[in-house]
Amino acid sequence: MWAYTLRRIALGIVVLLGLTLVTFLIARVVPSDPAARWMGPRATAEQIGAARVKLGLDKPLYVQYLRYMADMARGDLGTSIRTHQPVRKDLAAMLPATVELVVVGMVLAVLVGIPLGVLSAMFRDSPMDHLGRVVSVTSVSLPTFWLAMILQLVFFKSLGILPLADRVDSIIKLTYPLRPGTGFYLLDSLLQGNWPFFHSTLAHLMLPAVTLAAYPAGLVARMIRSSMLEVYQEDYIRLGRAFGFSESLITFRYALRNALAPALTVIALTFAYSLGSTFLVEAVFNWPGMGKYAADAVTTADYPAIMGVTIFIAALYVALNILVDIAQAVLDPRVQLS
Amino acid sequence: MSLHRRRLAVVLSLALLVLSVAAAGCSQGAANQGTGTGGNSAPSTPQIAFYGATNDTMVFWDPSDSYSNEIIAMNNIYERLLQYDPATNQFTGVLAKEWQTSPDALTWTFTLREGVKFHSGNEMTAEAVKSSIERTMKRGNGAAFIWEAVKSIETDGKYKVIFHLSHPSPLDLVAASGYAAFIFDPTVAQKNGEDWFSKGNEAGTGAYMLESWQQGGDLVLKQFPDYWQGWSGKHFSKVVYKTVPEAATKRQMLEAGQLDFVEMLPFEQVEALKSSPNVTITTTPSFQNLMAFFNTQKKPLDNVKVRQALSYAFPYNVVVNDVMKNYAQQSRGPIPKGLWGHDDHLPQYTYDLDKAKQLLNDAGYPQGGFTLTMTYASGDENERRMAELYKAELAKLGITLELKGMPWEAQWDQGKATKPQDRQDIFVMYWWPDYANPYSFLYSLFHTEDKVLFNLGYYSNPQYDQLIDKANGLAATDRQQAIQLYGQAQELLLQDAPALFMYDQEYVRAMRSNFKGYTDNPAYPNVVFFYNTYRE
Repeated sequence: MWAYTLRRIALGIVVLLGLTLVTFLIARVVPSDPAARWMGPRATAEQIGAARVKLGLDKPLYVQYLRYMADMARGDLGTSIRTHQPVRKDLAAMLPATVELVVVGMVLAVLVGIPLGVLSAMFRDSPMDHLGRVVSVTSVSLPTFWLAMILQLVFFKSLGILPLADRVDSIIKLTYPLRPGTGFYLLDSLLQGNWPFFHSTLAHLMLPAVTLAAYPAGLVARMIRSSMLEVYQEDYIRLGRAFGFSESLITFRYALRNALAPALTVIALTFAYSLGSTFLVEAVFNWPGMGKYAADAVTTADYPAIMGVTIFIAALYVALNILVDIAQAVLDPRVQLS
Repeated sequence: MSLHRRRLAVVLSLALLVLSVAAAGCSQGAANQGTGTGGNSAPSTPQIAFYGATNDTMVFWDPSDSYSNEIIAMNNIYERLLQYDPATNQFTGVLAKEWQTSPDALTWTFTLREGVKFHSGNEMTAEAVKSSIERTMKRGNGAAFIWEAVKSIETDGKYKVIFHLSHPSPLDLVAASGYAAFIFDPTVAQKNGEDWFSKGNEAGTGAYMLESWQQGGDLVLKQFPDYWQGWSGKHFSKVVYKTVPEAATKRQMLEAGQLDFVEMLPFEQVEALKSSPNVTITTTPSFQNLMAFFNTQKKPLDNVKVRQALSYAFPYNVVVNDVMKNYAQQSRGPIPKGLWGHDDHLPQYTYDLDKAKQLLNDAGYPQGGFTLTMTYASGDENERRMAELYKAELAKLGITLELKGMPWEAQWDQGKATKPQDRQDIFVMYWWPDYANPYSFLYSLFHTEDKVLFNLGYYSNPQYDQLIDKANGLAATDRQQAIQLYGQAQELLLQDAPALFMYDQEYVRAMRSNFKGYTDNPAYPNVVFFYNTYRE
């Protein structure tokens, strides 16, 4: 298993190197002048020329790429053309916000999706199953943007029980400030025993997390249901029932465990995907995260930021894929790592 | 259904139920704290003002380079020698208490206010002012060119700064500029390195100083205890700049009292807010206008009659009413209403297709029969709608208008193309002055250029050049005479029609009704001088 893991990591590094090259080329061949962007809309040719030298854009493309890679090896991801700040610093500021949102969203998706799928499978073709189908199909097909606004309308405007937008209430943030920590507000406030902050963060997380969870929750529910129905037909389940095993033992020990494997893949990949695609959720809920940063980077042809985000998400994808493969082997003894 | 299965089903359903109830329950208390922050905060909480911006607040941190959205915050952190009020055409001394110019306008002397402190604790002196301006000029970034007339700066004692100019220039307007005129403590940059400011630091004299900032997050300013105007009276203790790009979210935050002031909203959101009792909408003429430059060096637009015909074919009223929802007015020449030099007596082109047809006929194009390309900034919905309407009107004259929405850099690059035939026929662009000087419009956009920069109609008229250059020199000593010359120059422009002057935009601000003390000063676009504001 160790040899397999090491081989996968080595392969992953090759994939990432290829990706940096492709992304760099694509980001640089689009018709845009990063030096002009850097200087702002009214810069003179002289000012733009000076910026071009400063940013190293006067060098041939391969030199720029090699320089970028050398800097990256030292942990320097360059300076954003749009924000004028180091990309690493930008990502460090944005990432915790997005990761926190996506993690909570995924936890919600799992907590709702798995029981919903199990219930639907257990009571196939019953009203429970129909309800489960309606809920999961609806949650998968609702446009994120629309759902986000409807949730705001209902829970903020009409009921007034959940906040509209932001990561934490602005007044709470100023009156109960958090000491610098991991950047994950929930974790930091919990560790520092800052309860008003924790409470406010949790409340602010609800609507965006539910919006984000809708799609994977429905997907997981449908996958669990179909895998479980398949497993229920297996001989070993029938045998278990014939032996008089309890239904919970059969469902959780045998059926669910076998049905989890495909759902796990979906959850892991959706997690990695969500990190870079939370733009709409972040826009509506004014969440200062990476989705918005990535979208801004693309629209302004901010190539160092595009590179930074892409490399980060790709690395995460690769890592998660390896972890999922290993987890599959642990869950399903038939899977051999070789 | 077996008993086991039923029990399991009950357990799972209960788990789902508990999860949702817990989520709602634990959030309710926090939500009550979270909403209505602005006006309903507890008495013990400090008075905090919230500014809702569409774009990131901080782009440039260096006061010498600042040339972007950050001026909304910079103007509360830093100060200038003078402040200009276009409504009264008056200057107010800020860091300078007195100023005077020599009769030839080549020497300007500013006497500084005493006892003003920088946020670094050092005193603001003549030496600091000299070093600030010299550093800005030396770096040459952003709007540093506004100081181009300055030959040298000298100090006379601790509180007197003397500017020597190479040619007459209205240095009072320059010193009051919203960009590139900030005075800062130069010793901190000398001590901590040239890029100290860019790393997110400041050393101004303004009423508010930096408390915290996070990229993509809030910028928080707090009161500077040693501010020279003091803190008696009603003032906010902190100012928070929030970036809220999504218009609907911004509107709801304003309605809920989570924002005090919003600098810009789409017209439909403004209309929706009008019925909100706690929100006030104000409009002020801005210094920004939309123009379309005709390529005066390319057929058929090299013919003045064709350009005049195209000026008569533009549906001014429809665009102002339907596209701009009346938050604009038809331009009268290139200088927007509200900026000195604007002339209410100038003639205006009106929508008149018959006249346009007659002029085309005179020019030798009775049936139109030519195609023009018009470039505009992609993503600007108002420009796109305006362009579509114009296209329909020109079609009635037999002229095909091809519309090309492009990113600004690409549009500008095409406009500056070396070969005139590679350039567009019509270039649509907004303009706003770097400082409150009509010369910015008349020089940048229409003065003869050896190398194309912003004269994107490639207009060249020596008589016009002479008039505006002379007026700029006079602006320092005899502003009335300057205005008169600018009027003559604008008449020439309207006659030669190198551009279509579409509309002057209005600033539409939405704010909480209890947010008081704000006046819109278009010389400092989108800036709220928070020292003057308070919550009632």
